[in-house]
Amino acid sequence: MSMRSQVYEWSNLAPASQDFTLRRTTADVPKALTANREYDLFIGGIGLNITKPAETTATQFIVIEDIACSPTLNGAVQIRINTTDYFQNPDVTDMVGIPGLASPYPRGAPSTVNLNGATGAALADTDNILKSFDLYPDVYVLPGQTFQILYTPLESTNAQSFAATSTEVVSAFIKYTLYDGPDALIANKLLELGVTINPNNVDWYKRSLIEQQQRSAAASAAAMAATNGGV
Amino acid sequence: MSMRSQVYEWDAGRGTTQVQRGQAGQRISIFIGGFGNNITKPAETTATEFVVIEDIAVTPTLAIGLNTGQTALTVRGLQYDEAGSGVAGPRAYTQVRINTTDYFLNPDNVPNDGIPGTASPYPRSINFQPSFNLYPDVYVLPGQVWDVIVTYYDATGLLDSAGAVLSVADTNIAINQLQCFVKYTLYDGPDALIANKLLEMGISINPGNVDWYKRSLLASQ
Repeated sequence: MSMRSQVYEWSNLAPASQDFTLRRTTADVPKALTANREYDLFIGGIGLNITKPAETTATQFIVIEDIACSPTLNGAVQIRINTTDYFQNPDVTDMVGIPGLASPYPRGAPSTVNLNGATGAALADTDNILKSFDLYPDVYVLPGQTFQILYTPLESTNAQSFAATSTEVVSAFIKYTLYDGPDALIANKLLELGVTINPNNVDWYKRSLIEQQQRSAAASAAAMAATNGGV
Repeated sequence: MSMRSQVYEWDAGRGTTQVQRGQAGQRISIFIGGFGNNITKPAETTATEFVVIEDIAVTPTLAIGLNTGQTALTVRGLQYDEAGSGVAGPRAYTQVRINTTDYFLNPDNVPNDGIPGTASPYPRSINFQPSFNLYPDVYVLPGQVWDVIVTYYDATGLLDSAGAVLSVADTNIAINQLQCFVKYTLYDGPDALIANKLLEMGISINPGNVDWYKRSLLASQ
């Protein structure tokens, strides 16, 4: 399986005794987030993390196809490849990335939650946010590159109108396709050719290679037959 | 009929043994896990079968938060109780396993819990719409064993058959509380051979391409 659809879901949940976890547990509780601070979804030290920075090996190629985050807290998600942020302001200055209101996770989530709500309807029954943003063209992570997904809430998880111990739960989501081995080589070739990298085009390139081989084999056979016939 | 669209729906509250709070955090096979509705033997393909898994989905979750100890509220059809992690619903994930290999990995190449129900919800609704599309599809080649694994973490986001929060006592989960859905196409007999041929050629395996291959064979005769 050398082309695989993958997802990564982060949330600010971890066991009470620690700020981050490498495995979800049944005892996870929300962790407070500070407003206007970037949190790396992979190794940021809050919520679910992984063991090392996300990077591609020499035989891997990643195509990021979607990013999204909770629309609450005016959160936003940014992609960083090596040290370069993908989303920029028109004046080429840094920005926080795609707002959760434009790319909500889950789709249909409310834009706010009211932790003072005494009923389920009052807790989260404001609206259903649908996506305004589509990550197209996709973002390529070439072999050997490191990438980060950064979540920035513009408000803290403990709004002043709630109890001091209150904490909102937020999530972020990334969907990508991992090309490995020969398919990563083909992805590199497509990149050189200026062809969009997706499973269809990788398959197309494989087919064209096979057809080319068949044609050359047929031509060799015909040449051989002609040579033998001429003797 | 040698190409057949198939679905399998698993419900943790059906069958002879239902899920309880003790199963939170455990990986449960939806086919032979011993909880909910199961089948008689592991899912596997014979030498003349080819399976293409096209969609998987599981009960969704909604992130909310913790405040003042609200209990037993229903939020958008999901159970919410602050004794848990501050989310409504089960915090459920679903993973595909082929033989002994998990399909979904973290970026550090460590197998993870799989697709969150929040990204691929079952059932879909206005409140919970999919962010995830299983593309490219997952192929189960002839002779392989495959499984779909569900893991849930929040028993306070589920109800038992008496309508109480599942995390309170060792009671059985109610039906429609934790569900998983798999959609796949089964290619059998000659169509499985064609599916293998398409795989060799690097062509996506779907009913349209299998039909195209048959037409091209007929045209070349």
